[in-house]
Formats: sequence, C-alpha cells, structure tokens
Amino acid sequence: MSKADRDLDNEIDAHLAEAVEDYVARGLSPQDARHAALRDFGGVTQVKQVHREMRSLNLMNWLDFKLGARMLVKYPGLTVVGGLAMTFAILVGIVIFQFAGLFLYPSLPLPNGDRIVQVTVRDVVENDVEERALFDFMAWRDALATIDNLGASRDAIRTLIVADGDARPVFVAEMSASGFTVADGTPLMGRVLTPDDEQPAAPSVAVIGHDLWHERFAGDPNVLGRTVQLGDDHPTIVGVMREGFGFPVSHELWVPLKTALLDRAPRSGPAVTIFGTLAEGATLETAQAELTTHGRRAAVEQKATHEHLEPRLSGYADMMAMNSSNGSDDMMFMFLIYFFIGMLVVLICGNVGLLLFARAASRESDLIVRTALGASRGRIVSQLFTEALVLGGLAAAVGLALADIFLRNWALTFLETNYGRLPFWWDLALSPAAVAAAVVLTVLAATVAGVMPALKITRGMGDRLKQTTAGAGGLRFGGVWTVVIVAQVAVTVVFPAIVWFENVQLGRMQDFDPGFATEQFLAVQMEQDAPLDSTAKVEAATLERDARMAATLAELRDRIAAQPGVAGVTFAESLPGGEYSERRIELGDDAAEAAARGPEAPAPFRYATVAETDTSYFAVLDAPIVAGRGFNGADAEPTARVAIVDQGFVDHILGGRNPIGQQVRFVRPGNPDGPSEWYSVVGLVGKLDLGVPYRKGPFAGFYLPGTPERFGGTLNLMIRVRGGDPMTLAPQVRGIAAAVDPSLRLVQVQRLNELNAGMLWVIRLWMSVTAVMSSVALLLSLAGLYAVMAFTVSRRTREIGVRVALGGRRQRILMAIFRRPLIQMGLGVLAGISVIVAATVMYPYSDGPGAHESGGLTLANVGMQAGYAALMFGVCLLACVVPTRRALNIEPTVALRTE
Amino acid sequence: MFSCRLSTYMVPDKNDVLYGSLGMLVLQTLAAIGPLHGYRLARRIEQISDNQLTLNQGTLYPALLKLQQKEWIAAKWGESETGRRVKIYSLTRSGRKQLESQESRWHRTTGIIDRFFKIPNEA
Repeated sequence: MSKADRDLDNEIDAHLAEAVEDYVARGLSPQDARHAALRDFGGVTQVKQVHREMRSLNLMNWLDFKLGARMLVKYPGLTVVGGLAMTFAILVGIVIFQFAGLFLYPSLPLPNGDRIVQVTVRDVVENDVEERALFDFMAWRDALATIDNLGASRDAIRTLIVADGDARPVFVAEMSASGFTVADGTPLMGRVLTPDDEQPAAPSVAVIGHDLWHERFAGDPNVLGRTVQLGDDHPTIVGVMREGFGFPVSHELWVPLKTALLDRAPRSGPAVTIFGTLAEGATLETAQAELTTHGRRAAVEQKATHEHLEPRLSGYADMMAMNSSNGSDDMMFMFLIYFFIGMLVVLICGNVGLLLFARAASRESDLIVRTALGASRGRIVSQLFTEALVLGGLAAAVGLALADIFLRNWALTFLETNYGRLPFWWDLALSPAAVAAAVVLTVLAATVAGVMPALKITRGMGDRLKQTTAGAGGLRFGGVWTVVIVAQVAVTVVFPAIVWFENVQLGRMQDFDPGFATEQFLAVQMEQDAPLDSTAKVEAATLERDARMAATLAELRDRIAAQPGVAGVTFAESLPGGEYSERRIELGDDAAEAAARGPEAPAPFRYATVAETDTSYFAVLDAPIVAGRGFNGADAEPTARVAIVDQGFVDHILGGRNPIGQQVRFVRPGNPDGPSEWYSVVGLVGKLDLGVPYRKGPFAGFYLPGTPERFGGTLNLMIRVRGGDPMTLAPQVRGIAAAVDPSLRLVQVQRLNELNAGMLWVIRLWMSVTAVMSSVALLLSLAGLYAVMAFTVSRRTREIGVRVALGGRRQRILMAIFRRPLIQMGLGVLAGISVIVAATVMYPYSDGPGAHESGGLTLANVGMQAGYAALMFGVCLLACVVPTRRALNIEPTVALRTE
Repeated sequence: MFSCRLSTYMVPDKNDVLYGSLGMLVLQTLAAIGPLHGYRLARRIEQISDNQLTLNQGTLYPALLKLQQKEWIAAKWGESETGRRVKIYSLTRSGRKQLESQESRWHRTTGIIDRFFKIPNEA
C-alpha cells in the first residue's frame, strides 16, 4: 500500500470518527451513529478506488516508464537516432563540465585545500604581475598574522644526471620548507626539506618526487643518501615524496630556497611564487586587509619601487583558473569551443524534440482518447516527458561511459599538449558532481525534447476532442520549429566546413616539405641554466650564460661529430618546420625610391621570415647554393652583415630580380633607433622552405649567419645521422652534453620530422571530435527534417486529395506543399554560409588548431558549400517527395477518408 | 438532493454550467470560514445550504484531490477540534483567484437565466 493510500485511509477513518462522534452527541447509540456516518459518506471502497485512479492519472508513474520503454522498441529508428543524439549531447556536456571545472571551480585535493592561498604582487599602473617579489616575501614572512607557513618557490628546469650518466631535464622547485607543511607533504621515505636546509652554508640536499624516483632511479629503495648532479650542483637525496605530490604546481624535485644567496633587492631578483595557509580564524578578506596595510606601508617606505605595487591574495588553485592572467587567448579559444558545443547541445535536444513531436503527433488520437478518459494536460505532458526521460536515461548511461573513456584516454593528453605540465590538482576522472551534472542534463534534455513538443501537441486538445474529425489539420509546426529547422540546417552546413578547414590545415602540416631530408636528423633543443646560486644581477648572469654557451658549443659539436654514423652537426635559432620570426624589411631600392618620392610617401610593406643559422647550415642540410656563395666562417662576425635568401624571397619580395648584391635592412616603425644596418645578400639557396606548416604562405626566407651568443640562451642542434633511426644517437648526445657542460639542458631530443607531432595529434583529435559532431548533426538533421517534412505533408494528404479531386494542377499543389520547407531550408543554408563567411572574414588566418586558413572563401570552398547546400535540398525534397507522391497517387475518395 | 458525479470534474468545459459546482462550493466555504478538514467541510456545506444540499460526503474527497492537483487548495496534516489527526485544507492564492472568476461567471450565467424567468407572460 502506498503512502497516498494510507493517508486516504487515515483521512476517511478520521472523517467517519468525527461523524460518529457528532451523531453520538446528538443522541444516537454508537452503533447507529456508525451506520449513519457510513450512509452519509457513501461507498468507502468506491471513493478510494476513484481517488487512486485520479492520483495515477495525475502523477508520473511506473507505467509511463514501461510505456516509454515500449516506445523505444516500437520506434527503433527514432530510438537509435534520438538516443545517439542525446548520448552525444550528454557526453559533450559532461566533458565540458569536467574541463570547465578545472578552470572555473578549481580545488586542491588536500586537507584544508580551500585555505591554501597565493600572494601575488600587482603593478596597478602596468596592470601586470610583478613576479620578482622575493623582497616582499622576506618582509612578510614573519610579519603576517593572518597567513601561516608563508613560503616561496622558484621554478627551474635543471639537468639531472644520475650515476649511470643518464642526463635529462627535470622540473625543479627551489622551495621554502614550509611548502611541505602547506601542501601536506609527508614523505614516502626519508624526510622533507627543513628550514635548516635553507641556510647558506647547509649541505646541498634534494627531495625527489614519486614518479621521478621510479623513472630515473628505478624505484631504488636505497636511493636516500645518493648524490646526484643537478645542473652545477651535487645535492644528496634526503627524501622521496608520496605519489601525487607535485606542490607548488607539478614539480618533480625539490631543493631548498636559499634566500640568503639570492638577490633580494626590491623589484629585483628571481620570479617567485608565494604561498601560505590562512591562519586560524582568518579569512581571505581579513588576510587581504592585512596584506593591503603592508602594501601601503611599502608604497611609502619604498616609494621608488613600490609606489604602484599592491599585494593580492587568492585561493591557491585559482592560479590556473579563468580569472588568472594565464593566456587570455587560450581562454578565448576554450570559451569559443564551449559556446560552440553548448549551441550544439541545445540544438540536439530541440531536434530530438522535433522527432518526439512527430511521434506524439502520430499518436494524437491515442492522446485525445486519454484526454477523454480524464487525463489532464499536465498528465499527458508528464507522460511524454517520461518517455523522453527513458530515452534520455539510456542515453545518459551510454554518454557517461563514453565520457569516462574519453577523459581517461585523451583529455589529459590533450591538456598536456596544450598546456605543458599539468598542475597536480587537475583531475579529470568522473566525479560525483559530473554524474549529478549528467542527471541534470538528462532531465534538461528530456524537458527540451519531451515537454516542449508535449505542450505543443496538447494545446487545444479539448477543442480537438470535440471535433468529429480529430487530427485533421489541427497540428502544425509553428514558429519555434521553424527556428529549430533553420538552425539545424545552418549547423549542418557549418560543421562539415570546420572539418574541411581542419583537414586543409592537417594536410598542409603533413605535406609540409622544408626541402631537405628531415628524417635523417636528430633535433636537440638546448638551454643553458642561469647559475643556480648567484647573487649576480640577471643581466650579468645572462651574459655569463651566453659566453659559456658559445664556449661549450664548439666542444659539443666536435664530440658529437666524431660519433660513428654522424654525417654533420649544425645549429640554428629555430628548427625548420617550427616558428620563425617575421620581420619587416626594406630593400636598398626602396630607400632610393623613397628618397625620390620624398619622406612622406609610405614605404611598401615587406615581410621576411628570418632564420639565424650556423654558417655550416646549408652544407649539413645538403641545400644547394644556386647563385652567389654560401656562408663562410668570417660571415659570423657581427660586422659582416651578409645574408642568403631563398626562392620565396626572390619571387615575393624581389619580383624575380637577381638577389645577389641586394641591400636589405630591418625596419621597426616607431623604433627610436631607426632601421638596422644594411645587409648584403650574397647567395640564393635552393630547395629549402622556411614556411610554417600550419600557416599559409607565401614565405620569403632570409637567412642570417648566427652565433650562439645571439640566440638568447636557447639553440637547436641539428645532427644528421647516416642511415638508421636518428633517435638511436640520443643517449650518446645526452651523455656528451652532460660531460661537456652539466648546466646545458637538453629540453627536447626528437626526430626532426616529428617536430610538430604534438600539434598534429591535437589537430587530429580535434578533427575527429568535430567529425563525430558533424556526423551526429548531419544524421540528426536529416532524420529531423525527414520527420518534419513527412509529417507536414502527410498532414495535408486530405488537402492534396481535395485539390486533386478538384482538378488542381500538380505543379501548383507541389508548390503549395514545398514552399514552407524550401524557405526554411534556404534560410538555414544562408545562415550557415553566413557563419562561415563571418568566420573566414574575422579570422583571416590563425596558427591555432581548428583555425581557418587565410582567404577561406576560395572557389573550391564555395563549390563545396554549394554542393553541400544541394545535398541538403535533395534530402529536403526526398522528405517531401515520398509522402507527396503517395498523396498525389492516391484516389481522392481514399485521401478524403485519411485522417 | 444534489448529487455530484465525478465525471463532471474530469472534462473541464468552460461552457458547462454544472462544472465546478462542488469545487466552487468548497472554495467558497474555505474562503469564508478558513482552513477546514474534510468532515467539517462537508458539514459546513450542508449547514450553509440549510441542509437543502446533502452531500454524499465521500464524493468530497475526489473533488478535494482535484482541487489540490489544480493547486487551488493546499492540504496539511493537523489536529481537529476533537484532537484527531486530520488533513486540513486551505485556499491557495490561485484558488482565491479562481474563485473570483468562477463567482463572476456564475453571477453572469444566473443573471442571464434570471432574465428569462422574468419575461412577462404575454398570454
């Protein structure tokens, strides 16, 4: 017995008892009073029965679910198409939810994670973060009452060389010991860093992360006490952290922050991250207030440096959140994706609604009978909602499972490729919140897909009930559906265009030929550490580093070249296929022309892609010098000022003129120093292409002889390996580099032809995502359109019958039937094409994945869209033609009898 | 005797004069007297009609359910004057609005019919 039944029993019992009491008070015997009360009441059983029926008519009950399940089987086409669409919508929704959670509502998976804070210093005039805040940190460390365990850390990438000579870069945090307290860092073995380790004279120690321990020390249980080489330093390992510890962000190794050895002058020294925990009883607001007080005092006391500085406090995990200054372009890109997908989800549910509406319309007479039997409008709506919910529930289960697979297998890799190392608190496993979100999405989807059509179909049901010819023209697709149809046609037009653009991009990247045998090359990206414990100012350190780089390079090169199988070693500022700088140039002829025309005449816009390379570059790459000469050793002198150009330069800048002897200089509008010195073109190199694979040309290549000290601490070594896989040389290269200079960091060692592998992966992933989206949108569009058109036309069967019977001309009848759908199609295609045009105009070119190429409105492009529009029209006509043919072929007498 | 057939409530039809009669009586009684439980409500209706309307009291409950479903009345468990646990019904805001519109419609309808009865006999 249900609660409602029990309630009614109790209520009736109370009613009868009250009545009996009344009668007894009026003088009846209890027995007679009971009889009288029952007589007044009427049939108790019947009342209960009626009551129960009325309740079941009003409330959603399990029979609706059963009916919903039966409907899934009865209309398999709709189940598959609608179910697939809703699955996709929910899958996309969950993935968005998980991703958005990382940026919008980040939280630290640590005890008291919400009390861990970050302090940043902001220059309010420049509206930028002042990261050189060691001075401020030292001032606050003991002064702040509202923040405990205040600590600082400094990021560094250092080469870690373990005993067997294996040298690789690791992500190091030079961190205050309090960081381990803040982030609940209990070691797996040994100890964490202590304040004593921060003393200048303390022996050098390091704590390693769990993954590093496994990867580089093979999980050696005797790792404690081992001395390793870390850049120039030789710390002893004193602890191994437990799995998952990566504080401050995603660090692998920790060394003490020896502040006494660092430059602590105001607004000077290294960039640091400052963290702490809110003290007992303190809130973000009170702590901010205290910091602000300190900030104001510093602004007065250190007016020269701190006048415009303001300390700011934020939740620690917010550092990677939307409101941080972390790459607004990336955020914009993410936001665009979200908006795009969100639009898709709404559209999909509207679309499934369209299908369910057509299904409900085919059951109209059934629904009218139910109304006649006493079902209210709400009751019918709830029934249709339940049916949609059954479909949605099924879809949600599949969607969640797929989301889980997607998140586990691809999402983290996607983020890593885009953002590099991920913060330790980023977790993409399906959370209970995500499951709850799926439930909400399902209900939402069922509401859009079930309630909207139900409201539409039940409107005026009472009036239709009275009509003897139920259903004859009573239902029509109104304005909302027109919008849905137009929008879905538009999306169906837009999606394949995106896939097409991506495909063009992907094709260009895959087909990119830099003009030499990249597969024979090992590319080594190198950086040199700034000295770890240096009190020198940054500039001095940089100079020292560059000088050291130059000295190191010669030896490194000789030793690598001496390796068996090595055919040549050269270096360049950037690797072919990567990014080069585009610089505005001026030709000697231009200057002469400008002089003739007067100083006011605008100089022509000319941009060259500039590559700085070693003088041996062309020889090692086997690139022929087709005119003039190649570089020689003397060209590397800063006073030499010679350049070599490629065919692109000759074609696009010189218009085919002979490049040899041309004078070229760099101009920077607004630069007070004026243009650079003139460079003289001494040679023309054949074959090589300086293009960026993911950008459309034309590119005009301009090569300058470079020396390591001009590359700013980063350079790329290109090693040509004779026969076999160049990667086999990688261990030797690492070993040699570590031996020549331990502070030399090999950031990336890879095959040159795999330079863009990460980006290709992202584009491929994104392409498959959009391809799946497109297929779903297309499938759903076609099914939806067919359902709507077939429904509309079949609704007008009688009208067609009458027109045929009255001798109406076929063309006129067809026009009458097709007009509305054709207009809707036309509007949809127009809208879709407009979006594409707008996108190609707004983003003439871009270098991000999924971006559109320049001049997207090519002839082929327009042709593809026209073809696609024709296809859509074809399907639309198909949807209309089949039922119309049926109607036109039918005998008017028969047509008049159809509903 | 006035009897209320359930089916009268099941198909709402604005043109049906009888529709909503019991519902209207319930709403008006609750509006005039305030929250009541089922038995007291039935008795009040009978008393107000000076016992000319005798309800088959059981029919009140489906009617009350219907009014609840339309959210014109609300119910909650409480205690009767005799200390019994009973469900007490009260008028909601939308019930009050509904009552107002039913009342004016009623007056209009009865007014029209009244005019017919007042046609002077020309014979």
